[in-house]
Amino acid sequence: MINKDLLKRLLETFGPSGNEEAIREVIREEIKGYADEIKVDALGNLIAVKKGNGKKIMVASHMDEIGIMVTNIDDNGFIRFTNIGGVSPYTALYQRVMFADGTMGVVGVEKIDNMKDLTLSKMFIDIGAYSKEEAMKKVNVGDVACFYAPFVQDGDYIMSKALDDRIGCYVAIEALKALKNSPNEVYFVFTVQEEVGLRGAKTAAYGVDPDMGIALDVTLTGDTPKAKTMEVKMGKGTAIKIKDNSVLAHPTVKKLMIETAQENNIPYQLEILEGGGTDSGAIHLTKSGVPSGVISVPCRYVHSPSEMVSVKDVENSIQLLVKVLEK
Amino acid sequence: MLRSLLKELVEAHGVTGFEHEAAKVVEKYFLPYSDEIKIDKMGSLYAIKKGKADNPKKIMLAAHMDEIGLMVKKIDDKGFIQFTNVGGVDQRTLLTQEVIIHGKKDLFGVIGSKPPHILEASEREKSVKMEDMLIDVGLPKEEVEKYVSIGDSITIRRKLLNLQNDMVAGKALDDRAGVAVMYECLKELSHMKHDCDVYAVATVQEEVGYRGAIPATFEISPDIGIAIDVGFGSTPELPKDETADLGKGPCIGFGANIHPKVYERLVKVAKEYNIPYQQDIYPGATGTDAWGMQVTRGGVSTGLISIPLRYMHTSVETVQISDIKNAGKLLAYFIVSLNGEDLEEMLCY
Repeated sequence: MINKDLLKRLLETFGPSGNEEAIREVIREEIKGYADEIKVDALGNLIAVKKGNGKKIMVASHMDEIGIMVTNIDDNGFIRFTNIGGVSPYTALYQRVMFADGTMGVVGVEKIDNMKDLTLSKMFIDIGAYSKEEAMKKVNVGDVACFYAPFVQDGDYIMSKALDDRIGCYVAIEALKALKNSPNEVYFVFTVQEEVGLRGAKTAAYGVDPDMGIALDVTLTGDTPKAKTMEVKMGKGTAIKIKDNSVLAHPTVKKLMIETAQENNIPYQLEILEGGGTDSGAIHLTKSGVPSGVISVPCRYVHSPSEMVSVKDVENSIQLLVKVLEK
Repeated sequence: MLRSLLKELVEAHGVTGFEHEAAKVVEKYFLPYSDEIKIDKMGSLYAIKKGKADNPKKIMLAAHMDEIGLMVKKIDDKGFIQFTNVGGVDQRTLLTQEVIIHGKKDLFGVIGSKPPHILEASEREKSVKMEDMLIDVGLPKEEVEKYVSIGDSITIRRKLLNLQNDMVAGKALDDRAGVAVMYECLKELSHMKHDCDVYAVATVQEEVGYRGAIPATFEISPDIGIAIDVGFGSTPELPKDETADLGKGPCIGFGANIHPKVYERLVKVAKEYNIPYQQDIYPGATGTDAWGMQVTRGGVSTGLISIPLRYMHTSVETVQISDIKNAGKLLAYFIVSLNGEDLEEMLCY
């Protein structure tokens, strides 16, 4: 059963890279009582430890989401901005954005003759202010906003902003709750700054110094009309990563995941992602090397305000993670 | 021996992330000249040759044994295989290649091409995209799936070819030629006295961002690290200032990635022993294992030796054997030149 209330809180909470305070508190509250120790490191990673005598396993899901940062406010109160993480001008156009204090705005654009010329530098945010002074009562240069889109769940699908990677956080939280008899010492790390270059996972992995790393993230799918060829489909199971641009999954970790899925009849797909990366990219290069893999949730329309995943795939991902951690 | 090593190395299959077979060849040839062989968590192979000093300093040599290649992405309804690249594959070089798919068993395949008779005029002018290419192994889907799964590696089928004038051509000479340099160096050192411990490391995953060299350097924590890789060999169409000639000796790298004292010492040793060498200037990133090594832990004094190589990232990469021999000799004499040296003093600015 999907925990709709938790999902809503995770997905709708504000938290662009570098501004994870609010989402960190939501997660910290939720996992209280389930971990033996909860701490926050110097960069803001939230680390929940489930003690054990065996190997140290680091599970990483990132709390941050893509967003925008204010660079300039003009005399008429229009706000120029830059991207935090991978924001496409095409998906940003006419979207609503939300600042930390709840101030809302809409993304507009200068007159352009050809949509091919659309760039973020020609776009602006309108918060309904009539002057610079009025705008600056609510927004300042350096302030950040996330895209605004309410969470929707109906039948098997979930649609929302920030499924990348709050759905990974959800998988981690539910696995932490379900994990009873792990022989391993498991570090559930809710990382910061993944969207700007796997930066939280890098220092967290150095601090934890794990024997094995598992990242939880979303991956793309190849199942929409005339999509780029990719064998992963939404609703067809959790995805076990073979490669992306940041990591080639370690053979032993990959094998462990595949065998565990087969033994427990968990539907799974093998994932080759031809672009993008995950926290495993940073984890596996830590110190003398950390064998690492990734459990992915297939997700359509990644980095848009209407990302979409399947409830079944989420549940299968949780099940696979728990079974792997119990091995 | 060098030729047989090169042949076995180049013909071994080891796409980035799948270096196991190449590692076996390295182990076989390096073992007689090493005190110890180790494989680390990422799969990099360390051949360790102990030095004579009481508290020996550590020199790490790094040449990568992975090669660029392809990976199975999808098996279509008719049994044709779609693929993606691992590392910087030039799609123009792929059409009509013979390939080997490394699945449950090795399967031969060919990358087919549309007959010229039925090409549209516009198609003749354009190169075909990798995503539009297919591998044909001659089997229907159900049969292919018995042996092949998503994520299997694919290499080009290619034997080492002896050209005239001591040149050889083949796949994966980037950077198995560098691995051969380490072999030559270890062989030279076997009849020399050296103070430092030498770690000759055949690294993994260089082609996707020197991912093997980073943890290996952390693990070894060397005082000096020298990467051996390949550089652009001169051909008529390439600018002179960006290439080096084959047969005129290895290139000694210079630039931000290279500690000036390591560079100076390499040049001094080359002059002293009449080893031919060329210069290679890198204002910034070298894109080699040296780039990863340099910023590991508290920083490593780094050097870079490169073997001039023509037709980089194709299956007909070409090098001259004498350059490999000279590079091995240069490294061995460099290591011996450090005998009795206080490295901290030598390497301070």
